[in-house]
Amino acid sequence: MRFNGLTGALMDIKQQLKALLQEAETYRTQGLIAEAHLRYTDAADLIKSIGKLKNRESLLSAISEKIQALDSTKRKVDKGPTTPELSKKAQDLIKNLFAFSENKDKDSAALEGAVALAKFGQFDRAVIELNELLQKDAIRVEAAKNILRCHLASTSPDEAVAQYRQWFSDDRFQSGQLETVRIYLDEILQKRGVEADLPSAIEHVDKPDAEVAIEAEAAAEMEEEFLDITSIGITFDSGPRKGKIVEFDVNFQSGNMLSLIISKQEQELIESLSAGMKLQDVQYFSPIAIFNGAGLVTSKTQIKAGPKQGDFCLDVRIVSSS
Amino acid sequence: MAIFNLKKREIECKVVYYGPGRCGKTTNLEYIYGSYKKQVKGEMVSINTEGDRTLFFDFLPIGLGQIRGCNVRVQLYTVPGQVKYSSTRKLVLRGVDGIIFVADSLEVRREKNMLSLKDLQSNLKEYGKSIFKVPLIMQYNKRDLAEQGIPLMPIEQMERDLNRQLKVPSVAASAVAGDGVGATLKECLKATLQSLQREFQWAQ
Repeated sequence: MRFNGLTGALMDIKQQLKALLQEAETYRTQGLIAEAHLRYTDAADLIKSIGKLKNRESLLSAISEKIQALDSTKRKVDKGPTTPELSKKAQDLIKNLFAFSENKDKDSAALEGAVALAKFGQFDRAVIELNELLQKDAIRVEAAKNILRCHLASTSPDEAVAQYRQWFSDDRFQSGQLETVRIYLDEILQKRGVEADLPSAIEHVDKPDAEVAIEAEAAAEMEEEFLDITSIGITFDSGPRKGKIVEFDVNFQSGNMLSLIISKQEQELIESLSAGMKLQDVQYFSPIAIFNGAGLVTSKTQIKAGPKQGDFCLDVRIVSSS
Repeated sequence: MAIFNLKKREIECKVVYYGPGRCGKTTNLEYIYGSYKKQVKGEMVSINTEGDRTLFFDFLPIGLGQIRGCNVRVQLYTVPGQVKYSSTRKLVLRGVDGIIFVADSLEVRREKNMLSLKDLQSNLKEYGKSIFKVPLIMQYNKRDLAEQGIPLMPIEQMERDLNRQLKVPSVAASAVAGDGVGATLKECLKATLQSLQREFQWAQ
């Protein structure tokens, strides 16, 4: 009986060991490195816990080799480039699939294609294509901003500064355009704590034109990047919901303009909101932060067709945030 | 975002395979590419890196022919599953019309499934979409590994973990053997086209 019991226990352990090794091997072939590593370690521990196991040392050595191979694969995966330069064919596909241009002109579509390349880390080709687009007056500023973004993402702020200075010294930009680009770059550098002397084109015009400066600043303000707002909370200061916060999901955002859909069921709410109305107390929820600020209802339109027929679309402009 | 050409009566929509790393998203596409030759309308493009991990996305265009007077084309994509490629996942998800969430049936991947589903929900939200409203199908993949004695989660447990609230159609599958791959895609296309019909009334 005793002999049978011992044999049984040994058989059990052998079965356990077999199961562990099989699991480990399956996880390895599935590319689940951490899981395979854990099972091989469990198997090694089990072997070490058995005093008299046939081939004990060779088993441990084989497992150790497997673990080393897994560690090596893990190192390769971890070190693998996050954004390697792709083949031209793959880059063309990215431009084609991720440009999202709808009924836009050829230049805007080309700009979107180049921006798509940059988003997928294909900076070298993106910069080449964006440089070509600098020749197009209508999209010159956007192309320039994206060239700077590419430099900031792929190399260093110094490259971006050098690029700006080069543009400053040639004459392809109008002074207002160049000033917009300067303000844009300056803001990014300030956020990163980088100090750089970016010469202003406005100071170098023969007769400083105040209007040009104002236009450039206004354009820069217009093109300021707004955070993605996912929802907003409006505190009503009149009407049936006075003093209460009502949350709305943001359906669409373009810069500082948010579109909300309000169900036709919410008759009281709809009536208490009108175009031109200033919303004094608004909470703006973004994925990374909440802002308090004000808003301006710029339009209220009833949806005439489609699944949301009868509901209202409310456009709210972010007036200020603090 | 589906593209309609009303003049030509053409519709093109986008279906994305989502899920944790190594769950079998690319294997699904490879099976479709190899087995549905009539429907496949171009090369399958895979951009992968060390250890055959999807780096950016896989892409496969297919055509379903005429459906209710409309020529329907579908672009199938996979996202990279590894956590570090979060921004790429979000980019690929843009304009999605239907989603197949490929969950890994291995017990050891339980938490990764849940994290990936949460990631999907949060990425959709950033595009102003609700996971409860987007056409979504669950695929419980790698069911074949049970035969090898590898610990898998029972379907009931996966339903509780991932589909308790969503209550979307689910399919048990083994992408490597092709089991359930076609059924999953069919369910997703059905849900996607129905959703587009409700929104745009494209069918005659």
